[in-house]
Amino acid sequence: MTTSVLVPLGVRHHGPGSARAVRAALEELQPDLVVVEGCPELDPLVAHVADPGLVPPVAALVYAADDPRRAAFYPFAAFSPEWVALRWAVARDVPVRFADLPAVHQLAPEAPDDAGEDARPASYPDVIGTLARTAGYDDPERWWEDAVELPDAAGSVLDRFALLREAVTEVRDAHRAEHPEEDLENARREAAMRRVVRAALKEGHERVAFVCGAFHAPALHLPDFPAAAHDNRLLARLPRTKVAVTWVPWTHGRLRLASGYGAGVGSPGWYDHLFTWADRDRDGVVPAWMVAVARALRTAGIDAPPASLVEATRLADELAVMRCRPSAGLAELQDAVLTVLCEGSTLPLQLVEEQVVVGQRLGEVPEHVPMAPVAADLARQQRAVRLKPSASVTEAVLDLRTPNGRARSALLHRLRLLGIDWGTPVDAGRTTGTFKEAWRLQWDPGFAVALVDAGLRGTTVADAAARTVAEDAAAAPDLPALSDLVEACLLADLPAGLTAVVDALAERTTHQHDALALAESVGPLARTRRYGDVRGADTTRVAGLLGTVVVRASVGLRAACASLDDDAAARARRAMETCDEGVTLLDDAELRRPWQEALAILAADETVHGSVGGRANRLLLDAGVVVPSTAAERMARRLSPAAPAPAAAAWLDGFLAGDAAVLLHDDDLLRILDDWMAGTADVVFDDLLPLLRRTFARFSAAERRAVARGVGRGPARPGARSVALDVEAAAPVLAGVARLLGAPGVGGAVA
Amino acid sequence: MTTTPGSPETPEVLRPHAEQAYADELAALRAHDADTGRVRPPSWQLSPGAVTTYLLGGELPDGTHVSPKYVGSRRLVEIAVASLATDRALLLLGVPGTAKTWVGEHLAAAISGTSTLVVQGTAGTAEEALRYGWNYARLLAEGPSEAALVPSPVMRAMCTGALVRIEELTRIPADVQDALISILSEKTLPVPELDTEVQARPGFNVIATANNRDKGVNDLSSALKRRFNTVVLPLPDSVEQEVEIVRSRVSALGRSLDLPADLGAGDGAPSEIERVVTVFRELRSGSTLDRRTSLKSPSATLSTAEAISVMTNGLSLAAHFGDGVVRAADVAAGLVGAVVKDPVADAIVWQEYLETVVRDRPAWADLYRACRELG
Repeated sequence: MTTSVLVPLGVRHHGPGSARAVRAALEELQPDLVVVEGCPELDPLVAHVADPGLVPPVAALVYAADDPRRAAFYPFAAFSPEWVALRWAVARDVPVRFADLPAVHQLAPEAPDDAGEDARPASYPDVIGTLARTAGYDDPERWWEDAVELPDAAGSVLDRFALLREAVTEVRDAHRAEHPEEDLENARREAAMRRVVRAALKEGHERVAFVCGAFHAPALHLPDFPAAAHDNRLLARLPRTKVAVTWVPWTHGRLRLASGYGAGVGSPGWYDHLFTWADRDRDGVVPAWMVAVARALRTAGIDAPPASLVEATRLADELAVMRCRPSAGLAELQDAVLTVLCEGSTLPLQLVEEQVVVGQRLGEVPEHVPMAPVAADLARQQRAVRLKPSASVTEAVLDLRTPNGRARSALLHRLRLLGIDWGTPVDAGRTTGTFKEAWRLQWDPGFAVALVDAGLRGTTVADAAARTVAEDAAAAPDLPALSDLVEACLLADLPAGLTAVVDALAERTTHQHDALALAESVGPLARTRRYGDVRGADTTRVAGLLGTVVVRASVGLRAACASLDDDAAARARRAMETCDEGVTLLDDAELRRPWQEALAILAADETVHGSVGGRANRLLLDAGVVVPSTAAERMARRLSPAAPAPAAAAWLDGFLAGDAAVLLHDDDLLRILDDWMAGTADVVFDDLLPLLRRTFARFSAAERRAVARGVGRGPARPGARSVALDVEAAAPVLAGVARLLGAPGVGGAVA
Repeated sequence: MTTTPGSPETPEVLRPHAEQAYADELAALRAHDADTGRVRPPSWQLSPGAVTTYLLGGELPDGTHVSPKYVGSRRLVEIAVASLATDRALLLLGVPGTAKTWVGEHLAAAISGTSTLVVQGTAGTAEEALRYGWNYARLLAEGPSEAALVPSPVMRAMCTGALVRIEELTRIPADVQDALISILSEKTLPVPELDTEVQARPGFNVIATANNRDKGVNDLSSALKRRFNTVVLPLPDSVEQEVEIVRSRVSALGRSLDLPADLGAGDGAPSEIERVVTVFRELRSGSTLDRRTSLKSPSATLSTAEAISVMTNGLSLAAHFGDGVVRAADVAAGLVGAVVKDPVADAIVWQEYLETVVRDRPAWADLYRACRELG
């Protein structure tokens, strides 16, 4: 035991400089056991590290078996110190172990009395920040790069790790002096790490290297180990849960997210480049980076001539000198790219950021690695709703009134959102209710790929579907596509997805300059608002958005309806109708007021296209905002001889629009129409005929007959309206009605 | 903006050059450079680091206070100085009112010691302004000679190894712009009439300014663009910064115009400056400050300079026609005028903004009413 050494290699997670230092340290130390920070449940995954099919970036995923949403990812990139240590050890047959607080405790559901600990301790010491400030840097990241990652100092790399450990010890001690309260979470984690080390030493390992975050290095200094009993006490009686582990492919983009290894890194692509080139040729780092940037820009059709690359490289170096840095870092490179290659425009720079600084690399995981969490979640849900996957076609009719029917429906809709068409909806047949849903089910083994893919977006079917909807919403080409997504969210019961789609809709409607497109989106939104409540979705945001959209559409309506030709007028009219339908459906005064004001402006304006103006009048007449006498007045004006007849016909078409009731109930309107028709010259009448026919053809036969009868009666005179009744002929009918109503006296009176 | 009185020998002028106004600071920085032994690029009066300090302000060890000339990102100033240090021409781009000319003038003053070599670009700028012209009387009398040649500021800068500024580069006709291409790449200016050429001395460089959001400009050819390092000067970062810039400029203008008005508020309510700056920032960024509501942007630039003029206008209204305190009604007209430049499209943007944002802010009710009254 006395001859044993334990060397903590304190690193910055995903720091390429740390990765190189770790490799050098391992070469120098030649340990017989490598321990890596990470929960011990990951140990079986080490077996896959040697597999050439496991290509970083990958993540070790550990999740609670009964609830995959409680999961932790340990991502590894090619430049991660942890990955370098794993590969080094596996290539030399040196055993590897993970050490940290076991996931069975980390992922266990919080006991109710533990809830207070959930909050991150306020007094977590900012180790690197403190060291950076001491060294006179304002940016901790930059200090770490300049002081720890970049230099290839001479001398033992192990001594440098020891120095860093001592520096961190000082910071931690100083912090503890100021904040004596215990940081239980870290105390437990470090106790668990020490427990693994003790066990290893007991087994007879003599030179142990421990790759951990720099913060933990002081806790792993062997001479300072507390008594084993102290650590055991810390780890006693923790809640437990069952966990499962697997490798999942990861992307450089996802390395940016905070994960099992603390905060993510902002520039995986740059670190990868630095890690690759620093070994090969230090002076080549900047030129090679510029070449990579230029390639990305050229792919996007932006000129990046070699002469400019020379200038950009010179500028980056000059900036590094001005900023007193040992060599150009990412900030200098980005500044030089912006100034020289992007001509000061940040748009191409965003492309560089996405494609090169972050990178698009996707990792690979060999086939024989255990199941991905979404697949596991799906298997569990299939059992829960008693729906077995089968390769043959089966039909299922779901009754949405039962909980199981709803659960099945939501599951199938969610899978469809993930691109897994296990079920395809078919016609439910002639039913009057909307509570039935018919599906054709067929399982295709190829869906497994989609399930793994879905794992990138979430660990359960629901999470992944919600995330997919959010991504689709961001990429949706137009408002109708977004409206479809809103509906999909309702069907698949994805409140989280609904929020994202509504956000995208809000964003899109804002930049929608076309008031008509806005008006068109009112319909679907209003339906979501109206029927979303039935499915228990929270549609208050939809309501807010709807308010804005209606106001915007109302404000812009008059301008959008200026100088329309016939086709444009037809579109405007449709938009107006959809919007009005939506506003009427919700029956909310806040929405109705601005909308009807906008319609009123249109209705009163005689310069708008007849079809639109007529429709506006009709909508207002139906809503009771415009009184029949005003409508008649306007109709008379639009149909007066001075107005061009085709425009008058268009107005009439808009006003009547497939519903003749208004003509039947208001003699005044019918009379104006009749007079106008009679007054048109024969030549004009020939031109008008097709238009009029189109208007009247939309009426039902009975309506047309009634209108003709009304015209046949001749001009009605106010007060002189007398109807000659054939009482004799009506007597039997009246008697029958009276009998039905149970009023025998009436029949007698008439007879 | 701090002003140091000009050196005693200069007669009083409306606006002294930067190198005259800040002669003390430049001398102190030069002395500091000599003390620390910092390397200066050939023909530079100051080291790159000292130039950066001159622009951004700071405190020298000998106690000299260097006033900040440019309020904004250190990064941008560093890029600009580093570009000039690597012998690349510098193009300062930005909307009106982002201190492009101001930065260019101070860079030239700090680096070359003179900011007077300047070509003012207009649609009528001829090639002579960039190359050389002739004294025709002499040309006719003596024939082509060095004495008959009238050098342009560019040619003089080449001879002396100084910085030359070209203002509003994009207003210069495209064929005239092309004259710069060979000057920038070869650093020589041939004079075929005399069968000679002018070769630029070390230290020669060009600072051009251009407006990237203006109508009726001649876009730079890509050949010319490639010869410039482009630095885009942004509008101020934060509301506080912008409010401060507007407040100090408006007070200064108000003083020089003898307007005895009060900028108002201070009793907890948002001042008119804050509201105007907020409106400008929100409309220009296309979202409310709390990032919760997206907005449409009008066609107008809505730069800080325009906010200053809206406020000055309000100040003048309040002083001459109001009660001496700037109120919502005093700024409303200027505000609407600044936002609505296109009577159709901008009017919709403005009305939407008024109805969806301004109306919902309880503390803004007076501004909402004032704007509504204007129609």
